[in-house]
Amino acid sequence: MNSAATATSEPGHRAKPRPRRRELREVTLLVATFVVVLGVGALRPSFMSFSNIEFMVLSSVVLGLVGISQTFVIITRGIDLSVSAVLGLSAMVFGLLSTTSSMPLWQVLPLCMAMGAVLGCLNGFLVAWLKIPPIIATLGTYSLYGGLTFIYSNGLQVDQVSPDFAAFGNGNLIPFLPVPTPVLALIAVATAAWFVLNHMKFGRNILAIGNNAAAAYNAGISVRRTLLAVYTISGALAAFAGLVFVAYTGSATATTGTGDHVELQSIAIALIGGTAIAGGRGNLAGTVIGSVFLSVVITALVFLQVPAIWYSAGEGLMILAAVTLGARRSSNP
Amino acid sequence: MKYLFPRQPWDRALVAILVALFSGFCIFTPGFYDGFHGTLAITEEFLPFGFVALGLSVVILTGGIDLSVGSISGLAAVIMAILIKSYGLNTWLAVLLAIGAGGGLGWLNGQIITRLRVEPLIATLSTNFIYSSIAIALAGASPPYGFGPAFGELGTGALAGWVPVQLVIFIVLAIGFSGLITRTGYGRRLVMIGYNRDAAHYAGVSVASVERRAYCISGIMAAFAGIVLASYYDAVRADMGDILLLTSITMVVLGGISIFGGEGGILGVTLAVMILGVLRQGMLIAGFSDMVTTMLIGAILLSSIAIKNLFSSRGFDLGSIIRRLSSLRPPERMAPRS
Repeated sequence: MNSAATATSEPGHRAKPRPRRRELREVTLLVATFVVVLGVGALRPSFMSFSNIEFMVLSSVVLGLVGISQTFVIITRGIDLSVSAVLGLSAMVFGLLSTTSSMPLWQVLPLCMAMGAVLGCLNGFLVAWLKIPPIIATLGTYSLYGGLTFIYSNGLQVDQVSPDFAAFGNGNLIPFLPVPTPVLALIAVATAAWFVLNHMKFGRNILAIGNNAAAAYNAGISVRRTLLAVYTISGALAAFAGLVFVAYTGSATATTGTGDHVELQSIAIALIGGTAIAGGRGNLAGTVIGSVFLSVVITALVFLQVPAIWYSAGEGLMILAAVTLGARRSSNP
Repeated sequence: MKYLFPRQPWDRALVAILVALFSGFCIFTPGFYDGFHGTLAITEEFLPFGFVALGLSVVILTGGIDLSVGSISGLAAVIMAILIKSYGLNTWLAVLLAIGAGGGLGWLNGQIITRLRVEPLIATLSTNFIYSSIAIALAGASPPYGFGPAFGELGTGALAGWVPVQLVIFIVLAIGFSGLITRTGYGRRLVMIGYNRDAAHYAGVSVASVERRAYCISGIMAAFAGIVLASYYDAVRADMGDILLLTSITMVVLGGISIFGGEGGILGVTLAVMILGVLRQGMLIAGFSDMVTTMLIGAILLSSIAIKNLFSSRGFDLGSIIRRLSSLRPPERMAPRS
C-alpha cells in the first residue's frame, strides 16, 4: 500500500545489509513463552502442573496445523479466511460420521483431506484463474462453507466420537513414549512443510511468487498452478486440523472454528512467527512456536480470569504488533 | 429521456437485473408484493446495508478495504444506547456523539494504515475484533432497549405516511456521495489514488491524508447504519453489525466499483443495494433461511468480481471474452497493490 511513500521517505535504509533476524524471532518467542509460563505459574501454581502444560501443548496442535496452512498462503502474498469454515465443516462432517457409521480412522483420514483439498482448490481457482483478490475470494467462500456446515449439521451437534477417534485425539501412538498422537502429527506435518518449503522446487517456487509474481512467471514458474496447489494444501491441512479438533475434544457444533475466529488466530500465529505479510518470507519454526505461544497466552488469560470476550481483541492487537514490529525491522516492507 | 437512462453497460445490466428480479418476486412469491406502500416499506429492511455500502465505496475506490464496518456499527449503537440509558443524554445528541465515535474509530483505522504502514486488510481485520470486544464488554449481559417513539421514526417512520424515512435519507446520501466522488477535488483524488497510487503521489496528492479521511467516512457511515438498526429494532446488540460486512462489500463490488480501486460510481452501488436488498428480502419471504441467503450473497460476490475481471475495460464482444478465457497472461499482482 505504501511502496511510493516508503521508497521516497527512507532512501538510506536500503543500503544497509539486512541483519540476521530470522533466528532471533524463534528465540524471542520461546523466551516470551517461558516468561508467560513462569510469570503466571508464580501467581497461579496450578498453571505449571503437568496436566495443564499437556493441555496447552495439545490445544496448540490444532492452531499449529491451521497456522502452517496459513503460513503457506501468506508467503504467496495471499490470505485464507476460509480456514476456520473448512475446519468447522470437517469437524462437523467427520464427527457425525464417526458415530453414525463405523468407518475406521485410516479410511476417514484420506476422505477428510480430500474434502479439504476440494474446498481449498475452489479458493485457489478463484484466486489464480479468476483473479479475485484472496481476501475477497476467501471471505466469500468463508460464508459458503460456513453455510454448508449449518445446512449439513441441521441442528445436530457432535457430542461424542467413536473410540477409534478418541484414541487418536488423546492416546499415545507409540507405547512407552508419553507424547500424544496429535503432537506427533503436528511434528510430522511441520517437518514435511519445512522440507517442502526449503528443500523442494515447489517450495522455492512459492517463495519466488511471494517475492515477485511477475518475475516468477517470467522465470518459467507456473504461477497459477502453484497458487492452486498452495490453496489446496491449505484447505487439506485445515480439514485435517478439524479432524484432530473433533477427535481431541469429542465435540463440535455448527459454529466450531468460525465462532472461535480460528482464521484470526492462524493469521496471528503466522505473523508472530515471523512470516512477512508482504509475502516472500516464511518461518515455519516460528509458526509452530507461535502456536504454542498463543495457546499459552490464551490459557494464561483463562487462569487470570480475564473475560473470554477480550481474547479476540488480544489476538487483533498481537497481529498489529507483529506486523508493525516486522515492518520496522525489515527495511523493505 | 436519453440521459435519464444509465449509460454504462454495467449499470444497464444492473437495471435489467433489478427489474427482472423485482417482477419475478412479485409474480412468483406470494406475499412479496404487498401493495405500493408495503413494497416501499421493504426497503427499511435492507437500507442499513446500503448506508454501509456507500461509506465502503469510498474506501474501496482508493484500493483499500474496511473489514471493521460491522463492529464499528455495533460499537456505535452500544455507545449511543449507553449515553441515553446510563447518562440520560438527549437522544439526538447521543446519536450525534455515536456517529462522531464511529468517525473516530474509522480515523483510528486510517492512522494505523497510514502511520504504522499496516496493510488495510490486516489492520481492519484486527481492529474489527478489537472493536467488537469493546462493544460486547460495554453492552454487558443485558443490552439496553426501548429508546422512545421519536427515535423509532428514524428506522420505521414514513414521510407523508408512505415514503420511509430511511429511503429519503438514503437517496439524499447517495446523491451526496455521488457529488463527492464526481464533483469535488477530494473525490477525484480518491479515484486517482485507486487508479494509480504512485502517479497520485508524484502528482502531489497527499495519499495518506486522503486515505485517512476515506476510512473516517466509512466509519461514520457504519456508525449511522448501526444507529438506524438500533432504531429499527428499538434495541441494541453488540454483534448487531456482524451481518453487514459481507452484504455491503457485495453491494459495492456488484455495483461496479473495482475491488482494486479507481473505477466505478455511486449509481451502480445504489442499483446493487436495491438488487441485493430485493433478493435478500424476497428469499426470506419465500421461506429460505438466513444461512442460504448469506451463501447466495457470497456466491454473487465472487461471481461479480470474476465477471468484472474477465470483462474489465475490454468490451463485451465475444472475441475478447474468448481471449480473456483462454489467455495465459501473467497475473499482474495478486493482492490489491500493497
